[in-house]
Order: sequence, then structure tokens, then C-alpha cells
Amino acid sequence: MEIMTILLPLALMLGAFFIFAFIWSTKKGQYDDLETPRFRMLLDDKKIAKPNPNLKKEDK
Amino acid sequence: MELCVHCDEAAIPPIYQEDDKQMAMPFCCQGCLTVYNVLHEKGLESYYEIKNNSAAFKRRSPVEVKSSQFTFLDDADFTKEFSYLDANGHRTMEFYLEGIHCLACLWLIEKLPEFVPDVIISKLDLERSVATVVITENGKFSQVAKEFNHLGYRPHPLKRNQDVMDLKTKEERMALMRIGVAGAASGNIMIYAVSLYAGATDHFAQIFNSLTVFFAIPVMVFSAYPFYKNAWSAIKNKTLSIDIPISLALITGVAMGLFHLFTGVTENYFDSLTTLVFLLLLSRYFLQKIQEKGLSAQDLHYFYQSESVLRADESAPSEFVEIHSKFIKVGDILKIRAGEFIPADGEIIEGSSNLNNSLLTGESVPVKAKVGQKVFSGTQNIDHDLLIRTEKVQDETRLGRLLKNVENGWAHRSQIVDLTSKVSKYFTLAVFFLAAALFVYIYQKGDTKFALEQAITLLIVTCPCALALATPLTFTRALSKASEQGIIIKSDEVIEKLAKIKNIFIDKTGTITHGKLKIINFKTHKETAIPLEDIIFNLESRSRHPVAVALIDFIKGKTKRTLSTDDFQERLGQGVSGKIENHFYEINKSGIFEDQVLAATYQVEDTVRADSQGALKNILAHNRKVQILSGDKAEVVNKIAGEIHLPTEYALSELSPEEKSEMIKSTPHSMMVGDGANDAIALSHADVGVAVLGAMDISLRAADVYLTTPGLIPVEKLIILSEQTMKVIRRNLVLSLLYNLASVIAAFMGLINPLTAAIIMPLSSLTVLLSTVIGTKELRSLWK
Repeated sequence: MEIMTILLPLALMLGAFFIFAFIWSTKKGQYDDLETPRFRMLLDDKKIAKPNPNLKKEDK
Repeated sequence: MELCVHCDEAAIPPIYQEDDKQMAMPFCCQGCLTVYNVLHEKGLESYYEIKNNSAAFKRRSPVEVKSSQFTFLDDADFTKEFSYLDANGHRTMEFYLEGIHCLACLWLIEKLPEFVPDVIISKLDLERSVATVVITENGKFSQVAKEFNHLGYRPHPLKRNQDVMDLKTKEERMALMRIGVAGAASGNIMIYAVSLYAGATDHFAQIFNSLTVFFAIPVMVFSAYPFYKNAWSAIKNKTLSIDIPISLALITGVAMGLFHLFTGVTENYFDSLTTLVFLLLLSRYFLQKIQEKGLSAQDLHYFYQSESVLRADESAPSEFVEIHSKFIKVGDILKIRAGEFIPADGEIIEGSSNLNNSLLTGESVPVKAKVGQKVFSGTQNIDHDLLIRTEKVQDETRLGRLLKNVENGWAHRSQIVDLTSKVSKYFTLAVFFLAAALFVYIYQKGDTKFALEQAITLLIVTCPCALALATPLTFTRALSKASEQGIIIKSDEVIEKLAKIKNIFIDKTGTITHGKLKIINFKTHKETAIPLEDIIFNLESRSRHPVAVALIDFIKGKTKRTLSTDDFQERLGQGVSGKIENHFYEINKSGIFEDQVLAATYQVEDTVRADSQGALKNILAHNRKVQILSGDKAEVVNKIAGEIHLPTEYALSELSPEEKSEMIKSTPHSMMVGDGANDAIALSHADVGVAVLGAMDISLRAADVYLTTPGLIPVEKLIILSEQTMKVIRRNLVLSLLYNLASVIAAFMGLINPLTAAIIMPLSSLTVLLSTVIGTKELRSLWK
């Protein structure tokens, strides 16, 4: 049962890691809008065909 | 039938691009055509590709592009109040966009930075139809708004209190974190608890036990904090709350777990308790989310105020500048264009027009107004431009006072003690009594320590978890299913109140009747040179008068032949006339004339819906008393009552908004169904106020329920829904109490330990969950 001395801390660390990852992403606002992103991902990032000539180059 | 290329609505008559000779692309209106061209100019054709490949979330509607410069958005006072300046000098403003309905809209709105200079970010929240736009210091919000308008989404700037918004976001994130921590910790605890139940011994048992305590502490302190807080405030206010017995169970659970840890006993209840905290938080979160989806009173408030208006410039009175209606002052000269709402009380100083007062008075027939007459805020100007001098603005207007009254009504509405809280009072008392009894019972046998332990255990295992879990879940289900059916309910409390309703008051427009004029008794008296349909089509399609709209609707689908019309005239209250193919035609309220000879007669009426009578019968069968409350004339109301077989003593007519609300106030357990601003006070004073489709913002604000489909059938559904939902809640109550009874009996028999708790507590939750999902036969048939 000596394996437990490695497995237990490992399990605890994994658990703690995911809890903190979750807290971090929540604080970053990842879960603020749960509705729109699932649709947004369906749209591709292609730039529009005829960009506005008024736009400066670096804005593109 | 041809469908509009842009909005998919029926195109009657279809209009085409000038160079579209094959008539391949029909449009329903000029607005949609304009937007189509704008999209092509800007290289945004993909809009149509995305649109045709995705389902619409909301009803599509033809675009109405109003000419507006939105210059008021650049006004310094306005930007200060409506936008948010960040450290980089960027400004953020939020717009409510009319007409957002599908994935393509999302695509279009979020492409904004690519074709509008100085826009950095444009993000759309589909659920709320709110776009957040960030611009640089050189950018102008008027430019952004104009662009939205060109694309066919009429923008309404929303006022945001940044502090309130930040606080709300913070709270929501906090709620999620509590849930996440509780979920992760309870999952981990389960691993060690199972090992303990499986028979871990010696130092493994000690380690596993301390690990469960280690994981349980954050759940009990951080995640469960809202329960303690609610329980404490309930105790302070001497009210009831289910959170009191829950907190009690949690605190005793923690105390016992810690005590056992230090005394070396490897037993605790953390596996059951943390799972319980996780599930409870989750169910409450869902309920809150679904309620937020409904009506946000705050958004509606700003939406209502967010219209622009043309004001005569002080230095050059013939010039009109666009300002936000918020900045109207007494004595301003305003230009009210046809189709616009009048934003302030005042007097007409130039022009004459037909006005629709229905929002204030309930009167459906437009009234003529000319120079010198008083006009009120909230009135719609139907057909001709008017100049008015304002006399009362904002809160001082009739509409403003009405609005205040509505807010008062909200503040003074009866608070109900919900069923679960009521039960929890007796429950808590009973548990305390039983725990004391158990203590005495075992103490008599001589074991003090064991007696105390068993009494505390009883407090833990009788935690009304199933009950606390079932209620929010049942409401969440009811609310979300209802919204699928087009019934948007503001809060769970409304369902409990609905079940108790005894008197239903209905304003006829939009519920019993169609709410718009319809042509009846159309009689042809004489053959005309060109078909009557063509005459009607060519003359009346230029008018915005409700009768003209009704006539066009009457001939819908029969013709769309455009003939050249000379000398077209529309005279106020006199109808329309014009020359087509050498004949002089006139349409007025006495009929249709060809060269002064009567050719056809018709009458207009607001007709009763075909399904009203059946729905009324069903509502009456549910032991509800139904009465019509209307501001309209007695003859009209009585006729409608007759058509749906409602005795005329229940049809009350010619009531002012104040009389309506008095009526409601004096009747307990009342529900009001209405739409106009004239119903708003009544809606806010009723136990349950229901606003119907097309209701003005003000009555929406006063309502607890919003019906997106017109007619009485949703009202009937609402009643069945509330009755059946309460039935499920009562059944869950009985089920969870049965489980509690079982654990009490087990405790008295000395059988209770962490393992039995770990079986009984989730099992009871599962049972009520199933009971909730299954619902009742009536509920299931309602969802079909």
C-alpha cells in the first residue's frame, strides 16, 4: 500500500489544480455569457470581401 | 406566395431592384431592399448564406429603416450619462437592437469593427439583443448607431450604471465559484467516503477521514455561505425560510465532523452534506438564470425612454436638431413625424393629424387633432407631421405620472409566504422536538454521550434537502417550459400566486379580440371600370390610417397591380381619393365611390378571435370568475361579451385607468390581462399582471407575465400550468417528508449512521427529481 503515499498527494494536487483553474477562468469572465459563444464558434473568421476603404491598414 | 429575400416575410406586393428584370429577388418592403443593398455595398453578402443555414431564434420581421441621424448620441451630456470611459480613452456604450433574430445577425453585428472606422469591439448578446460597442476617442456613437440602422437594426442606447453592473457580474461569478468548489469537493469526498464505507482501517481510515474534513471545510464555509446568510436574515426579520433548517443541519454536521476528527472517530456526514450543498446551489442557480432570461425591468425602463426627437433649434427656429427625449424641456417646439410617438404633453401649434390614443385611453379608433388641441405623451401620431409646444415633460406628463403610479403599485404589492417556507416552520419545530425526544429516550437507557450523538445525527439527516431541491427545480422546469410556449413569467413567486387567483380581469384588445380593425359586411353595389381590389390597393396602400391598413389586409393576395394614380389626396378623417384610368375614385367611411357614385360599402370592427369562446369556457371550468374591463364604449364591449357568451354584467366598459385599478385593488386574488399603458396601473396592482403581445413597454414593466402569443389560450395555459406546478410541488413535499419520517423512525431504532444517511439523503433527492421531471398528465399534455 506504499503506492498510496504517491497516489494520494497526486490526486489531491490534481483536484486542487482544477478547482483553481475553474476559479481563475470564472474570474476572467469565461462564463459570463453562456449563450452567445456556442453560436459564435460556428462563424468563421474570414475577413469581409470588400473592406471599407476608410479603414487604415493596421486596423485590419 | 413570394417571400422577402431579406426577412422571409410574405412579400405583398413584392418589390424588386430596378435592374432586377427577371423579378428573381422579391422584397417585402423598401426597408429590406435598402438593407440588402447596404450589405452588398459593404461586402457583407455572407449574411444571407449564414441566415439560410441557421434557424431563427426569434420571429423575423421586415426592416423599418427610419431616417435618423442619431446626432444626439454625440452630445456631451448624453455620452457622459450613457457611456463608460476607460483608462485608454475608449468609450463603451450598450445598445438594445430591434430585429435581432438569428446567427447571421450575430455575424453582422460583430463584423462592425471591419467596416466602421474607430470601432474597436462590437459584441452581441443574442439572448438579450444587446450589443456592446467600444470606440476610440475619435469615434462617434452616432456613426455606430447610423450603421446599425442601415443594417436594419434600430438601436436604442441603454443607460448603464457601471457600479451596479460590476456588482452583478461579481455576484454571478461568485455564485459559479461556489458551485464549482462544492461540486469538485463533494466529488473528492465521495472517493474517500466510499473507501471508508468499504472498510478502510487503522491509519488509512484516519487519513481518509481527515481528507474528507479537509475538502468539506471550503464547501461548508465558502460554498454554503448563502444558506447561512439567508437563514440569518430570516431569523432577524422573524420570517420563515427553508434555509434555516438547512443551515442547522450543515452547522451541526460540521460540529460533529470536527468533534469526531479530534476524538479519533472515523465517521462524518460530509459526503451527503457537500453533495447536498452542490445540488442546492445548482438548482437555485438554474432558477435564477431562467428568471433573468425573462423580463429585465431595468432594461425595459431605459428602452422606453430611449427615443430621439426633433427639436426646433433655439437660435434658428426653422431648423430642427435631433435630441434624445430625455433632454426635452418645457416650452420646446418639437416636430413629431408621422408614425412617431409623442414624447411630452403639449399643444399642437402647426398641422393636423390622426392620433392613436389607445395606449392611454383604450379607445381603438383614431381621433383627429388640429392646432390648439392638447396632446399627451405616449400618443402615436398616425399620418401627418405635427409641431407641438411642450407643456409638461418627463415625470410631469400624464404618462410619467402613470409610470410613477405603476412603481407605487409594485412597491405595495402583497408579499406571499411561499409554501416551502410555511412548511419549513413546522418542520423545524418538529425536528427540534423529535431530536429532544430522541435524546430523552436514549438518555433514559443511561448513555448520555450516545444520546447526544444520536440527537445531533437526527438534526443532520432530517435536513429538508429533497424539499429544498425540488421546489426550485419544479419552478425552473415550469418557467422554461412556459417560455418555450411563449409565456414569459417573471419569477417563481408568480406561479404560486397564479394558483390562488379567483378573479380574472381582461382588457378586450389583443386577448379576446384581434386588436386591429377588420373589414366586415363588404357589399358591392355596382360594377366598376377596374376591379374594386385594384382601386383599394392603389389608393389605400399610400395611407397609414388603420382603416386603410384593414382594407389592404382585406384584399391581401387578391391583387398587387400597380396602376398610375393621379391627383392622389388623403384628407384628414375624410379618406383618400385619386384618379385612375380616367375615373375619379374615392374611399371614405361611407364606402367606395366611382365618379361620386357609390360602388361598395363596408364596416370596420375589431373582431373577436375564433378561439376566445372555447378558451373562456375552459377558464370558467377552472372555477375562475372572468370579467372584461375596458376603456372602450359600452356598445362595443357588450357586443364582444355577447359573442363569447359572457353575461353583460361581467363586461365593464368606459373605465378610466384609475377606475380599473380601483376595481382590481378592491378585489382580492385578482389577475389582470391587458396591453396598453391605460392598463399599466391595474396590472401593477393586481396580484398577477399579465401583459399581452404588442403591449407597450410601460405595461410590460407593470406585468408579472408576458404572453408572446395573442389570445385567451395562453391565459388558459397559464392557469393550468400554475395549478399543475403547485400540485407537483405538494407531491414533492409529501415525498420528501415521507423520507424524513423514515429517517426519524430509523433514528429511534438506533439504525442511523453515516452510511444510511448516504443512502437515504440522495435517494430522497432522486425521488423528488423524478417526480418533478415526470410532472403530471396535464402538464405533459400542455407541453405537447
